[in-house]
Amino acid sequence: MTTQPAPAGIRVEAVSKQFAHRVKGQVYAVDRVDLDVAPGELLTLLGPSGCGKTTTLRMIAGFEQPDSGRILIGERDVTRALASQRDIGMVFQSYALFPHLSVFENVAYGLRVQRRPETAIVDAVREVLALVGLGGYERQMPHQLSGGEQQRVALARAIVFRPRVLLFDEPLSNLDAKLRVQMRGEIQRLQKRLGITAIYVTHDQEEAMAISDRIAVMNKGKLVQLGTADALYRRPEDEFVAQFIGRVNLVPVRVLAASGEEVEIELWGRRLRIAGASGAIVPGPARLVLRPEMARLGPDGPFAAKIVERTYLGEKSEYRIEIGDLVLQVAGYDGDGPGHAPGSTVRLALPERGLHFLP
Amino acid sequence: MLWLGVGLFVLYPLAMLLLRAFLAEGQLSQGPLFAMLGERIHRQSLLNSLILATLVGGIGTALGFVFALAATRCELSAPARGALDALAFLPLISPPFTTSIAIIFSFGPRGLITHDLLGLTGTSAYGLPTTLLSEVLTYFPLAYLTLKPVLAGIDPNLEDMAASLRAGGWRIFRTVTLPLCIPGFANAFLLLFAASLADFATPLILAGSNFPVLPTQAYLQITGLFDFKGGAVLSFVLLVPAMVVYLLQRWWVARGHYVTVTGKVGPRALSRPLPTAARIPLLAVCSALAVVIAYFYALLFYASVVKAFGADHSFTLAHYRVIFTEGLKAIRDTLIIAGIGMPLGGLFGVVVGYLVTRKRFPGRHALEMTVMLNYALPGTIVGIGYLIAFNDPPIVLTGTAAIIVACYVFRYAPTGVRATIAQLQQIDPSLEEASTGMGAGSFETFRRVTLPLVLPAFFAGLGVMFVRSLTAISATIFLISIGWTLITVRILENMTELALGPAAAFSVLVVAMVFAVTGLIALLLRRLRAPGTMALAGSMGG
Repeated sequence: MTTQPAPAGIRVEAVSKQFAHRVKGQVYAVDRVDLDVAPGELLTLLGPSGCGKTTTLRMIAGFEQPDSGRILIGERDVTRALASQRDIGMVFQSYALFPHLSVFENVAYGLRVQRRPETAIVDAVREVLALVGLGGYERQMPHQLSGGEQQRVALARAIVFRPRVLLFDEPLSNLDAKLRVQMRGEIQRLQKRLGITAIYVTHDQEEAMAISDRIAVMNKGKLVQLGTADALYRRPEDEFVAQFIGRVNLVPVRVLAASGEEVEIELWGRRLRIAGASGAIVPGPARLVLRPEMARLGPDGPFAAKIVERTYLGEKSEYRIEIGDLVLQVAGYDGDGPGHAPGSTVRLALPERGLHFLP
Repeated sequence: MLWLGVGLFVLYPLAMLLLRAFLAEGQLSQGPLFAMLGERIHRQSLLNSLILATLVGGIGTALGFVFALAATRCELSAPARGALDALAFLPLISPPFTTSIAIIFSFGPRGLITHDLLGLTGTSAYGLPTTLLSEVLTYFPLAYLTLKPVLAGIDPNLEDMAASLRAGGWRIFRTVTLPLCIPGFANAFLLLFAASLADFATPLILAGSNFPVLPTQAYLQITGLFDFKGGAVLSFVLLVPAMVVYLLQRWWVARGHYVTVTGKVGPRALSRPLPTAARIPLLAVCSALAVVIAYFYALLFYASVVKAFGADHSFTLAHYRVIFTEGLKAIRDTLIIAGIGMPLGGLFGVVVGYLVTRKRFPGRHALEMTVMLNYALPGTIVGIGYLIAFNDPPIVLTGTAAIIVACYVFRYAPTGVRATIAQLQQIDPSLEEASTGMGAGSFETFRRVTLPLVLPAFFAGLGVMFVRSLTAISATIFLISIGWTLITVRILENMTELALGPAAAFSVLVVAMVFAVTGLIALLLRRLRAPGTMALAGSMGG
């Protein structure tokens, strides 16, 4: 296989794209999005359908033209370059395997376009098929393969000519749940091993968290927040991110006083001191970002709550509890214990440091 | 370039036809129209045409549905289903007078059935009943080909669901299956209505003077009375219902009423078979029809190898000697014209189909609509339009082979356009994007990816061009000359001279040639067919 070129970063600068909508008129599919993907990084564009993530990816690939803004791959401005001149490898949601070509010819396609010598093509295709675990499949036709195998061919085809950039458009959405988990691990290992800069589009937040170095959350054409999975989960910058990544209770509180990262809040009639707080920590009303696993149910704690409903999930139980006029989702790790029965009263405790607040 | 061709050979003749029909003493006027409609015979032929088309549409759709049910719901073996398909295919690729000749042999004054079998004398084979019989036999396969995919496409889960709600077999059929087929019925009826309305060859032979219809009246007006204006006016009268049907059908299809086949893979539940009590009459009707068709074709062949059918039944090859000597010019001309028209029409179909589906340019839809126009119009109108348009300067093509080739290309290449569009619509655009993403330019992508995938459509287009070049008559009968003639026209001449032997021999020859070529193309298609692409046999018939 040819030597790998130095990985290239990708810069997306204030890129916008409008589409004509039948009802709403001109709407922004992508609205002044900035991205800076480091060389060798895997960045995920995450968001609900229609948020502009696929359009952004297709503009980077060169299948759509931005209305304004710039796109750079390495140091090269490719904004107006044709897709065929961008040196990208792409894996499509539908795989887009050529139905009239064998597995070998599908993978060899990009090399043939580059007019590589036949022996080099044979070697490169063999090697990459072995790499994705499809050695010996050369003569099969795409329709003879299972979904997972088709996915691997699409992956092999995208990496065989060592592009500077790999683009994934929801590549796993046609696979069943188990295979999805397995394939995302393989994609991640392969991407790290080859060191190719990659952008990955998905609407599945778990997949995004599992695979990415960093995640860019998009909503309604705008980039909402960009960060590591951990940062997005613990310190979401707005309600949309808080709701979209994982499950959350947004609990109304009042910030009484703040000094540095230490705050005093009033919650359900009690005053609490929190160290290492983040987010909207200025005196006044705020909302506490309370993940289900952050609250502890037990015999003691400052707050009294009533169990409304319990869903047993094996490793844990999910409770809906009533506290004041709020209903919260709380995870309970009951161990060997019987857990809490609906209708019973429990005490609720919160961590005393590291809480995050939204305005 | 494309627009120039389409404008010249689609729009210009139609405009000239309308101009001729509505221009009286240098002024636009409805005078000629009212004058023609004032004559009783023309009003009668309009009415006759509509009655005939309605009957053919209704009966043909019913027969087509029976065939489709037999093919999809009677648990027939693969060979039996193949036989059904072949039987339905036969009338579609036969020359226009095949059933007419067989009907005259059977029901004429010295007919095999009326005279020899029933001992009747003085019977007439002409009129509504025989015309209707012939047209139904010729066109019911269109309904079969339309309804079969509709029936096969109904999700078996729907019928299973009804069964689980304790509906009986007949009730399921009545409340689930039939309603889901209604769009198919409408489409099949309109197709048959249009085909019958446009049919020229059958009524010319069988309708007789007591049952005049529009296309033959327009033809007689021109060839008998040399009245171009009268022919143009009658064409316009025919144009109105034809356009209404065409637009209705487009509207219907555009509403997306079809049962769509999803790309879902995995084991598919089997359609519920019909109860035995329902199967027996169905299969009986099919068998009866099969016997009639087989009988007609056997009769045709028999008549081509006996001295004089009905009088002298001794074996002879004289008729074949006649067609290969006197008739050789017609055979040669037909094959030359088909040979030129095939590649042109095939290429035209793929290029136009590709452009309208994959490229954005102004007037895209207008181009598609215009290209389909000559295909949708009755051949008589197209023929008379060409005759009027290319008889006088600025463009004189009368008497050349070019006018016949142009007529075929612009009239039958639209099938190839449709096949290409259908094929391309199934090809995910991301295939082409995947190619450009890997560094291939747009020409290389077209050559390596798009072209191989639309090749089946190209060959289907070639097949249709060939079949139609050998069997069409309604438009080209106006365009032949001393220099260039056609087999179908020779058959007609033989029939009017009552030289039925050579006519039968010609017909057998055409059926044989069409079989050979379509068989070859089907073989090619099978080798070419990329997995996941649709069978194109259906488009061969249109």
